[in-house]
Formats: sequence, structure tokens, C-alpha cells
Amino acid sequence: MKVGQGELWAGRALLLALMAFTVLPFISIFVTALHPSNALPTGLEWPADPQWGNFVEAFNVAKIPTLLVSSTYLILAVVPVSLVISTMAGFAIGLLRIPGSRVLLFLFVFGLTIPFTGLVVPIYILERAMHIYNTRLAIVLPLIALYMPFAVFWMRAHFVNMPTELSEAARVDGATTWDLFWRIHAPLARAPITSLGILMSIWTWNQFLLAIVLVEDPMERTMAGALGFFQGHYATDIPLLCACTILTLLPTLLLFVLFQRQIITALLQGAVKR
Amino acid sequence: MVTSDNRPAALAVSRGIYLSKRVRRETLVGWLFVLPALLMYAVFVLVPILLTILYSFYRWSGVGPMTWVGLRNYVTVFQVPDLIGTIYNAFSLVVWFSFVPVGLGLVVASVIHRVATGRFGAVARTVLFLPQVIPLVAAGIIWCWLLAGPGLINEILRAVGLGAIARAWLGDFHWARPAVGLIGIWVLLGFCIVLLVTAITKVDPSFYESARIDGASWFAEFFNITLPMLRHEIGVCLTVTVINALAAFDIVYVSTAGGPGNSTAVPGTQIYVLAFTQRTIGQASALAVMLMVLVVVVILPIQRLSREVAQ
Amino acid sequence: MNTKKTLWVVVALFIVLAIVASATSCGAPATTAAPTATQAPATAAATAAPTEPPAPAVPNCGTDPIVMNGYFETGFETITRLTEEFTNQYPNVTWDLKYDQFTNLINETPRLLTGDNPPDLIRLPTFVSFAKEGLLMNLDDYATAFGWNDWPVPLHFARMDADGIRGSGTLYATGINYQLTGVFYNKELAAQIGMTEPPATLAEFDALLAAAKDAGLLPIMQWGSAKSGMGLAFPLQQLMADYGPTGPINDWIFQKPGATIDTPSNLLAAQHLERWIQNGYFPPDINAIEYTDAATRFGQGEGVFTFNGDWQNAGYSEDMPGTVGFFVMPPMEAGGQPAAMSGPLTYGIAATAKHGDCAAFFLNWIATNETARQINVDIGGSNPGGPADLPIPTVPEGSVTAETLAGGPQVGSNAMDFIANATSSIFAQGWTPELQKMVGGQQDAAGLLQAVQAEYERELSE
Repeated sequence: MKVGQGELWAGRALLLALMAFTVLPFISIFVTALHPSNALPTGLEWPADPQWGNFVEAFNVAKIPTLLVSSTYLILAVVPVSLVISTMAGFAIGLLRIPGSRVLLFLFVFGLTIPFTGLVVPIYILERAMHIYNTRLAIVLPLIALYMPFAVFWMRAHFVNMPTELSEAARVDGATTWDLFWRIHAPLARAPITSLGILMSIWTWNQFLLAIVLVEDPMERTMAGALGFFQGHYATDIPLLCACTILTLLPTLLLFVLFQRQIITALLQGAVKR
Repeated sequence: MVTSDNRPAALAVSRGIYLSKRVRRETLVGWLFVLPALLMYAVFVLVPILLTILYSFYRWSGVGPMTWVGLRNYVTVFQVPDLIGTIYNAFSLVVWFSFVPVGLGLVVASVIHRVATGRFGAVARTVLFLPQVIPLVAAGIIWCWLLAGPGLINEILRAVGLGAIARAWLGDFHWARPAVGLIGIWVLLGFCIVLLVTAITKVDPSFYESARIDGASWFAEFFNITLPMLRHEIGVCLTVTVINALAAFDIVYVSTAGGPGNSTAVPGTQIYVLAFTQRTIGQASALAVMLMVLVVVVILPIQRLSREVAQ
Repeated sequence: MNTKKTLWVVVALFIVLAIVASATSCGAPATTAAPTATQAPATAAATAAPTEPPAPAVPNCGTDPIVMNGYFETGFETITRLTEEFTNQYPNVTWDLKYDQFTNLINETPRLLTGDNPPDLIRLPTFVSFAKEGLLMNLDDYATAFGWNDWPVPLHFARMDADGIRGSGTLYATGINYQLTGVFYNKELAAQIGMTEPPATLAEFDALLAAAKDAGLLPIMQWGSAKSGMGLAFPLQQLMADYGPTGPINDWIFQKPGATIDTPSNLLAAQHLERWIQNGYFPPDINAIEYTDAATRFGQGEGVFTFNGDWQNAGYSEDMPGTVGFFVMPPMEAGGQPAAMSGPLTYGIAATAKHGDCAAFFLNWIATNETARQINVDIGGSNPGGPADLPIPTVPEGSVTAETLAGGPQVGSNAMDFIANATSSIFAQGWTPELQKMVGGQQDAAGLLQAVQAEYERELSE
């Protein structure tokens, strides 16, 4: 690859600049979180007396353990069910190619363009009528439904590329459709299922609008939903608010660092494989 | 390799010609596989869409009787400057949330591909992707603080001698929208970069190699190879970011709440206010329907254009 | 061919589902029982009074353990401390409390009131729309039982008649204390500009503002971000009350038919505010300043004056011990009766609340119990209301609370409600964006009043 030296360094400089642009905000609020309460610190100055205790206080005041439980509950309620039903649907549409597959696929993909804000009001009213409003189910059910477009599309994309010899051989051996799914294809789909699961976990954790509309008690929302609540509550105390914010985004950040490969691959393959 | 596409049995089933008993049972089972997902989707997405359309023709506060008003809610949207203004603001955000990240993302992706294919590039990709995994609310709060009077942005400006233009960006009539746009760029740039880098690596390397042997500059490479070959992925990137822009709620709500003077009010935040503060469900629904139509109207051409070459 | 048939089946299925869903949701019964049921007891009480009935059993909390469900606004410590003290005195009553900031509170309230677990006690910055829909409990019986109607407090602010006009009619809320707004000032900075005593007229106040500006100080600290709402509504309303009578302003807030905010005297007031803005008396970044930011910055010495209410007394005293003072907004002419936004910090009871009696008892207790009144004054900084013969709890000499308590009688009958409370969203949709535009030079005084009046009429016609 013959590339000029000048170009090499210019390119590197651009990347470094953008990385700085990306990372500086994180550093800034981290530093701000260390200032004493009620201070209005400017920019990046490291405080004379770092208040590590702010994180402890944010942990208690924001009732992080309660929120962790709440968000984890939501993820456990949403993700496994979504994975199962979307894999089944993707299997049917992508592999079995049942009649009407084209229509179904279009129907699901159409859902990718729907903005959440357009649906919040009728979902709220629907849930009131179903008497599940203000329960944890209130967030769980719509979230599962809203993940279906991407999830079904994603799983279908995987199944469509599965070789037919597998199914044909299994059929010859007398396998039922269920056997085909459960014994043969589900294990093979482990990778896309894992990636999808991680993605949906992150999205559930970060869900804001549904949480604030459909659940009244801030303590029963997602962490992102509760963070919005804290913004009003602790607006005087910027360092504390920053500490809260950091604690809120730490889990997804950690998850990302651990699983970056899967996450990035998942998002991109789903997007590129149209 | 024979994929499902070529199965003769599938062809027969979809033609509906040979509906043998076994095939019919298989079809039924297949539909049963789809049913759970379809049911959830129908009840909590499709039905609400239909309900939204239904409510948009009524005047309703959420409790009590509903009154039919026909197209009045839609007319009101056009008549009230603050309501129709949200559509204008949404398009303005499209420039920031979509065009800039996609354009800049293309440049950066090709730069990475050209000069940083090793470890450095991988680290860059990971770092640039970080904003995608944090809650949008957190991004809003972080930048709210950065863009404030005493925040980091102004401090940097003062440090480089541009202190004269320092201000509370989110409170300024002319700069609030671009400031919100900046938040969007920060959140979406990483996504576009990673998407486009992956796409570039899928391009047949022989194209690039022959270009380099010919001593082509970065510009030539970019416009003659990268852009045309990445048409499909550019379309995807545009689609995702445009939807993010038009449907924006979290970031705007947390950073400006639509202010100052409704200059950053977007359909997303306005629907929320109309539905829950003002409690005019019908009006909120009308705006929501217009938003959904808008999204489809904008996405379709993008999809059409990007699909031309890919298939 | 098969695809087409499938498509039609699918579409038909969804249409059916939609019809079924909308039929069930439209039919959701609203709690409309409340308004009709309340008419009877009100008239019964009126006719029963002249015959001096034996004192009826006063509603109370009983002796069984109960859990009271409360929904309050963040940033107001008073009510929390009051509930704690109440449990101290009545151990069988415990509280399950939820808090939300102002905007979220307004948005959540209708959902809570119509939900399965409605609040026994709920903070109600505005109540008209909820009362109209029958979501609030009628408090007239309690008022009669506890004797609230005899207290020298503006209960009429929380009354609404059958036509939805405020000012008289059924009582839907009551205050846990009675707030006063005015002008707080930083004594040190004020000394720098030569202010020895509070201004007696608007002209004197103008002179002080100009002096502050000349001395390089920020004359007025105020908030204005859309997230907390536009704080310029306070000085605007004070100026309106200087230029004209308070009656029409209250009429507009109470939604009396034909009321308008776009009057000649209000126009003069808005122009006066516009001059203040153009003279640079407010912080240049006001459109991005949230309420709590402004309070903090004033507490740190930025701004000579600030328009706020006595609920902030504790906060200011903590930040500026001994250096914060208060005066009621001076009238136009020397010796005139000053005016101020002053009203109850209103709380109500959900129409379907389970422990309405206990809630009413609690509200009565706040105004009559000595410890509660002391807490109210110490933490809330406001007048606890209550019967005329109960003494105002003592406050430290020269404290800002002493000054705000003294301001109440000065204002007297010139008490106004807040223009931000005229309708549920006149603040978010009217005052805030238009005032922000005025700061940005995109709206003038006349346009401001016209735009807000248009928004007001549009909301009332809904």
C-alpha cells in the first residue's frame, strides 16, 4: 500500500482529533463529578479536593441497587422472550419460506421506520384498557413488540443463508419441523442470537420514553428513565448529577467493552445484509 | 451451495399448486412459528398505529367523551406556527444528525481504510462507537453541561482566544439547533464510521490495489471507488440517521425541552406535550401521523436510490 | 396469487383488531361519578347550618394502621418533614411518597388520578382541568367540618364553579401554606450601589437597577430555560400589577369568560420589561438557565436582585446567611398598596382516594398544630395560614423569613395567582416560548401579549 507520509500523518491526526472529541465529554463529567456539591465547576479542571464520596452518595441517593434490580428484571423479561419468538419467526420466514413470507417480512421491516413517539399515546390508552398500565408489564410487552422488526429481520437474514441440505437430510430422517428448528438450526444460530441478545439488553437498559410514560414510580423504570427524573431533582447539584450519569452509563459501557466484537458485528451485519 | 432460495418445494408451496396434506400441515406449523412474534407486533405496534390514525380525527382529552372533528386537527397543525415549525426543525436536525455523520463518516472510514488498517484503526473504531451504547438521556445530560456557560466548550473557546463567542449555546436562538445537532453528531458518527469501514473492507481489494498502483490520490479513490461501491451501505446509514433525526425525543427533551422559544421543538417533543401536558390526544395523534408519513416519505427515495446498484 | 390472498387476510385481521381495541378503549369509564355526587352534600350542608346541629364527627385517621399515598413536587422539603412529624404524632399513619419535578408532575397527574391507586394527597399547581373532569374530591364537607371557611386565607383561589370558572364555587384544593413572591436582594451588593432601604416606588427601583448596571454588577438574576419554565413571568406580572389593577389579571387566570391578558396597562408593563431586557438587566444566557441554577448563582453572589418566592427562603438563607433580604415589589406611586403573587401551595385529594378523611385531617393538622406550623415556617418560609387566632410561629429576627412574613399583610387583598397557572399548558406553550423570543429580540411586548392570549383562547376552546 503506497501511501504518502504526509497523508499517513494527516489521517492519523484526523482520527485522533475525532477520538478526542468522542472521549472528552466522558472525561469532563467524570472530573466534574469529583467536585464538591453545589459547585459550578468549569470545564476540565481537576478539583483541589476530589470528592470520591460523590459516587457513593449518588449510588445511595439514586437508589442504584433498586434501579439495577428494576432494569435487570426488565431485561430478563424482555430479552429471552424476544429472542425465542423472533428466532422462530425468522426461521419460518427465512428457512421454511411459508406462503406469505414476503408480506410478513415487509410488514416487519415497515416497523423499523416507526418512531416510538408516534405510538406512545395509543399504547398508553391500550394498556389502561388492558389494566396492565403502571406495572412492569407496561414496559415489557411494548418493548418486545418494538424489537420484533429488527429482531425478525436479523434472524431471517441468518436463516436465509443456511444451506438446504441440512433440512433435507433431516427430513429424510423423519424430523418434524419442530425438530428441525430446535435440534438443528437453533444451535447453529447461536452467534446471531447472542449478538441480538446483547443488543436488545443495551436497548432495554437505555429505554427512556416508554419508561417515563408508562410507569409512574421512577424507581420502577429503567435506569435511563430514572436518570431523567434525577435531572430535575438534582439540578442544583451538578457534581452529583454527573456522578449519577456516570453510574447510569457504566453498565452498558462495560458490556460494550466486553462484547464489542459481537455488538458491532450484530449491528453492521444486520444493516449491511439488506 | 443450494440455499433456501432454490428449493423447488418452496416454489411449489408458494404457487399453491401442490397443496398436499403434508405440505398444508407444514404450512400451518410454519405459521404457528411466526404467530407469537406477529401477535406481539400486531397488538403493540400495528394496532397502536391504527389507533393513532383513528384518534387524529377526534377531539379527546384521554378521559371522557370523544368528539369527531374530521380533519380539523390536521388543519390546526398547518395553522399554528409552533406546530408546523416542529417539522421544519426536524428537517433541520436531519442535516446535523444525518448528512454530517454520514459525510464525515465516509471520509473517516476511507481514511481508516487507507492509513490505519491495523491496531490503531481497531482502537479508533471501538472508541468512536462508545456514544452508541450509552442512553441518549445520558448523552443529553452530558452535553447539556458541556454546552452551558461555564462548560467545557466555552472553556476551550476561551483557551484558543475565541472567548468572545462563548455563550450558553443551548439558550441561544440561533445556536440552539446546531448545538442539539452537535449532540446528534457525537452520538451517531461512530455508528456511521463503523458501518462504513466494515463495508469498505467488503469491497474487492483489487479495486483499491490497482488504484494505488496507478498512484491515485485519496480524492480520486474516494470519489471513484468508495462512493459508488458503498451505495447500499450509505443508504442504510442515511436511513437510520434520518429516522433518528425525525423521530428525535430523548436528546431534545433532556437538553432544551424544545426551547428557547420552540426553536428546537421537534414533532417528538411536541407530541409529548400535546398528549400529556395539554391533553389534546387528537391533536397529538394528528402530529404523530404526520411524523410517520414524513418518515416514510423521506426514507423511500433513499431506499430506492441505494437499492439501484446493490441488486 | 397466494400472497395476495394472504395480504387481504392479514389486513382484514388488523382492521378487526383495531375496531375491537378502539371500542374497548373508548368505552373506558371515566370517573364521572364525582361531580354529580358532590352537589347533594353541598346543598345539604347549606340548609342544615341554621339549625345548629351537634358537632358532627370530625373526619380523622382512625386508629388502624393505614398507608397514605402521596404524590409531591421535588424541591419542596416542607411537605416531607410535615409527613414525618405527622407519623411521629399519629404512629398508625405511614406514608408512601412519590416525587416528580414540575413538568413531569403536571404530565403524570391525570394518569395518577385515573389510575388504580390514586393519591390520597397530591400536589396540584393547577387543578381546573382535573376538577372539570371530576378527578378531584370535593372538599366543601371538610371545609365545613374543620371550619376552614372562617380562616383569613384566600381559599377562593382553589374554588371552581359549575361553569369551570375559578374564584367561587366548590372547593377542590387547599394550601399547606400561603406563599408570597417579591424581590430578594443581596445586601452586600445592594450596599455597593448605595441602596440603604428597599425602594418605595417603581421609579426608585428602576434607578437602582440602572445604578447596578453602571457599577458593572448583574442587576437581576432570573431563570428562563424551557425545562423549568420562563422566570420572567414573575417580574412581568409584578409590573402588570404596578401599571393596573389586580382584578382583571386574576379574572384571566380564573378563566372568567371574556377575560383577556392583552390590555393597555399590561402592554405598558410588557414594554417596561422589554426595556429591562434591552438594558441588559438580566443574564445574557437566561434562556439556558434553569430554576435551580439561578438560585445557586444568586446564592453565590451573581445578581443584585432576583424575583422569587418565599419557598426559596431556606435555600437563600443557607447560601447567603445574613446577607439576603426581601421586599415586596414597590407600587407605582409612593404609598400605594403593593401587589404580589401570593397564594396557597395547593394540594388536593383524588376523587377516588381511599383515605380522603385522613388526608383532610392531615391538611387541617398542618394549619393548626403548633409543631407543624413551626416546621412550615422554618422550612417552607411561608405563612402557615390557619385560624386567625393562632400566632405566627417565631422566626429569627432580621431573617429573610421574617421579612417575607411581614410582606403578607402589606399585600393583603392585592394577592394574585400566578399567570403561569391560567391553564395547564399556558406556561409551556405560551409564556415560556414567547418570553424567550422576547429575550432573543424576536418578539415585542405587543406580540407577546397577543400570542399568549391567542394560545389561551385556543386552549379554552378545546
